[in-house]
Amino acid sequence: MLALQIWLVKALLIFLTTESIGELLDPCGHIDPESPIIQRGSNFTAVCVLKEKCMDYFHVNANYIIWKTNHLTVPKEQYTVINRTAASVTFTNVVSPNLQLTCNILTFGQIEQNVYGITVLSGFPPEKPKNLNCIVNEGRKMMCQWDPGRETYLETNFTLKSEWATEKFDDCKTKPDTPNSCLVDYSPVYFVNIEVWVEAENALGNITSDHINFDPIDKVKPNPPRNLSVSNSEELSSILKLTWINPSINSVIRLKYNILYRTKDASTWSQIPPEDTASTRSSFTVQDLKPFTEYVFRVRCMKEDGKGFWSEWSEDASGITYEDRPSKAPSFWYRINPSHSHSYRSVQLIWKTLPPFEANGKILDYEVTLTRWKSYLQNYTVNDTKLTVNLTNDRYTATLTARNIVGKSDTSILTIPAYDFQGKLMESKCYLITVTPVYANGPGSPESTKAYLKQAPPSKGPTVRTKKVGKNEAVLEWDQLPVDVQNGFIRNYTIFYRTIIGNETAVNVDSSHTEYTLSSLTSDTLYMVRMTAYTDEGGKDGPEFTFTTPKFAQGEIEAIVVPVCLAFLLTTLLGVLFCFNKRDLIKKHIWPNVPDPSKSHIAQWSPHTPPRHNFNSKDQMYSDGNFTDVSVVEIEANDKKPFPEDLKSLDLFKKEKISTEGHSSGIGGSSCMSSSRPSISSSDENESTQNTSSTVQYSTVVHSGYRHQVPSVQVFSRSESTQPLLDSEERPEDLQLVDNVDSSDGILPRQQYFKQNCNQPETCPDISHFERSKQVSSGNEEDFMRLKQQQISNQNSQSCASGQMKMFQEVSAADAFGPGTEGQVERFETVGIEAAIDEGMPKSYLPQTVRQGGYMPQ
Amino acid sequence: MDLRAGDSWGMLACLCTVLWHLPAVPALNRTGDPGPGPSIQKTYDLTRYLEHQLRSLAGTYRLPQFPPSAALLLATEPCLGVLLNYLGPPFNEPDFNPPRLGAETLPRATVNLEVWRSLNDKLRLTQNYEAYSHLLCYLRGLNRQAATAELRRSLAHFCTSLQGLLGSIAGVMAALGYPLPQPLPGTEPTWAPGPAHSDFLQKMDDFWLLKELQTWLWRSAKDFNRLKKKMQPPAAAVTLHLEAHGF
Repeated sequence: MLALQIWLVKALLIFLTTESIGELLDPCGHIDPESPIIQRGSNFTAVCVLKEKCMDYFHVNANYIIWKTNHLTVPKEQYTVINRTAASVTFTNVVSPNLQLTCNILTFGQIEQNVYGITVLSGFPPEKPKNLNCIVNEGRKMMCQWDPGRETYLETNFTLKSEWATEKFDDCKTKPDTPNSCLVDYSPVYFVNIEVWVEAENALGNITSDHINFDPIDKVKPNPPRNLSVSNSEELSSILKLTWINPSINSVIRLKYNILYRTKDASTWSQIPPEDTASTRSSFTVQDLKPFTEYVFRVRCMKEDGKGFWSEWSEDASGITYEDRPSKAPSFWYRINPSHSHSYRSVQLIWKTLPPFEANGKILDYEVTLTRWKSYLQNYTVNDTKLTVNLTNDRYTATLTARNIVGKSDTSILTIPAYDFQGKLMESKCYLITVTPVYANGPGSPESTKAYLKQAPPSKGPTVRTKKVGKNEAVLEWDQLPVDVQNGFIRNYTIFYRTIIGNETAVNVDSSHTEYTLSSLTSDTLYMVRMTAYTDEGGKDGPEFTFTTPKFAQGEIEAIVVPVCLAFLLTTLLGVLFCFNKRDLIKKHIWPNVPDPSKSHIAQWSPHTPPRHNFNSKDQMYSDGNFTDVSVVEIEANDKKPFPEDLKSLDLFKKEKISTEGHSSGIGGSSCMSSSRPSISSSDENESTQNTSSTVQYSTVVHSGYRHQVPSVQVFSRSESTQPLLDSEERPEDLQLVDNVDSSDGILPRQQYFKQNCNQPETCPDISHFERSKQVSSGNEEDFMRLKQQQISNQNSQSCASGQMKMFQEVSAADAFGPGTEGQVERFETVGIEAAIDEGMPKSYLPQTVRQGGYMPQ
Repeated sequence: MDLRAGDSWGMLACLCTVLWHLPAVPALNRTGDPGPGPSIQKTYDLTRYLEHQLRSLAGTYRLPQFPPSAALLLATEPCLGVLLNYLGPPFNEPDFNPPRLGAETLPRATVNLEVWRSLNDKLRLTQNYEAYSHLLCYLRGLNRQAATAELRRSLAHFCTSLQGLLGSIAGVMAALGYPLPQPLPGTEPTWAPGPAHSDFLQKMDDFWLLKELQTWLWRSAKDFNRLKKKMQPPAAAVTLHLEAHGF
């Protein structure tokens, strides 16, 4: 009541006030800005300016201003008094789309007087339109669509612009209710690329989408194919031919199609494989359909290359495939009616109509034949599904086929048994009793069983035979008795088996078996076996069968023979392998290690190689097998600065080394070969120096001592290297080789006697050196003897031809070999070059030419 | 053996070098400028499309028959024959074949076959461009006089398409590096009916304009087909000679 009074007072006061001002529409002030549009979330400030007249009238100033938004008072904190007449209000983060802002003054008596009001709109600038795409519906104008982006809450204009390279087209302005699409005003020109874009604009800004450039023909959505019709073929019941009229755009582009089909009752569509309909056509034959079935079709089309859009589906069209012969015979049964006569009975044959998917067409009629015991055929043609005939009491066979316009179905056969067969049952005969239930709508599935009126023992016993006979077992097998001789149900079998002398053993076997294994038989024994089959009424023996178990089980012989053979083979193999591995040892025992002079070589012999003698003094002197190696032969003088005369020979050697090597006999054995590889590289650098003859220490032969005794070193010297010898093989007329070999005592592990006679050309002639190795006794008395130095003179046809070159060589050798050494050394005189003479080891440095001299290691 | 291994490495290096430089072989570099081929194809398609439009516009049964083309089926659009129906009898009669009177300013499409064959690409394109420039002007004049809105709309679309064809030809010429023919100032053809023209003669001129357009479109299809076949690049077959040095 109080509120009403206040309200009435207020209203009266306002009325009186305005009345008194006399200008109802003249506001007391105004708000700036007048109609603002701001971005959502930004700050906004409005200023209310009062008129002097009002201020005077109401006795107010800017301090009395009250702001209201949507009739709610704005808190004083947001106010700012600018001067006496103006005050502002500031809003931060404006989110309201529509803000009613009023400026009021608080007049005398706390009465709010409205001064001015504005509406503040807030929104967003337009976003860049995305996904611009156009579609050209055939025969109509082009329509473009795009995604306008976020809601702006403001009035936003979208303009679709389009142009050719040479010409601009009219703008397309959207309607307010469809801001995301525009239907252009002109028909597009096919085959000329057009550029299209969208401009969006509102109070807060404008923006342009990406430009798209396309040929309108690639954006065509054709009209659907028209006048789709379906026709069937009398020849083939599984096909239907579709024909249609293409849309008129087919005159400028080629088309492809989708064809869907389904049976009339189905709900899901099947599709013809698209690759079958990927080119322009106006008909298509659908295959693999069911006969006499109604199908529904629809078709659509689009540009052949897949650019553009599918048309709408055409109108559905349906057609029925042609009929085919029934795929199945009808179910068939009979019913015997009570008869008045004894000689005839009334039989009603009944069958069911075929379902449509089996009838494959309209069933015209049924054909029934009745045959009485393989004769007397009767034919009936029936339109109904039943037939009543009078039959004799004999057994009949009835057949039924269904027929449509194409052909007949398969035949179903039914046997109608004879009227009375009860008294004809015989004993010990097997009968198959079949019971078929008959329901109201036809027969069910039959069940059968076998039965005897009365059983008897079998009339024949089973014939047993062996399937497999082993050493201690035998597998027996037999055939089921024929039904004619069973005379009852065979319940079990009994197998009797015995040896000639032994007792008979019986085994019971279940009647379901046709095979049995007799075990724990004796090997190599004759067995007799027979079998009895039993029915409920008794048994009957079969014929007796005889077999003999073998002495050995299968594979037993092989099991013995094969391991023996394998063991023998293995032994042989191992023997061969052993011989192969130890062939060096064996070879040494059988063949002497004959040195191959052609393999010998100066530079290869190194004094630093430790002695590796391995001979046994206990062996006989001439025994070939005692020595295994001669390891060190050293030529000192040639080491770095070969003497000129030696160089000559080296040169010669070099020239011949290949052929020399080729002449090696190989008799010398591996140890010799390895130490005589040609290697003269150390002297190559001084080849140019010319000197003809010299006496060089040829070699030092070091034997390892017996039982840790210090071996002596045999030093061989010669006037030239191996070359004369080698040359002698090639050019025997050029070289005369004389070797004098003396043996002398001496024990020196590493003694080198090497002196070059011909240091200089002028000293070359007739200089002989005799050098003797000092004998170093190690306290072993027996092992070594000193070999006399051997003087080897070598006449060379070259510059030193006149000079006698003598080389003295001291060879230390074991005493035990002394006598042998003498003898051998003499033989070497004819050879002269390879002075590495070693008693007991003639093989080491025996040159090839020694064969002529008479010594043959073998 | 070492020598052979070295040769194998050399061969491998040679192969790698060839493969490395393969992208530089111009015939294989198909990703760049496709050349004038596609634009010629488009221009060809456009002429066929214009032929189709003109048949729709004028009625196929009326205009001279040219060698049949499987791609150009008879269109059954609603504007069939509207233009000739608009001209009225005897122009819409099937056997009407008037003498070429008063249409001397129209560019002639008919040309001796030998002369046509001997045209070079530049001349061929220039002739096409000039002819359609003129025909377009006449056609716009015809459009201005058209009485019915439907006819005006059809003619306007046809004019736009013809404008597109002009742009297309210009594009092909630019792609081939030929300059566009400059229109002679002051000789801009107009379709202003002279005072001597009777209504019948005017219609005769319209008839001849359409007939000439048809002939030109037919000829242009031949022209661009010829150009298209000429510009088709040979199958991109690149023969690489791998010289096996030192083998």
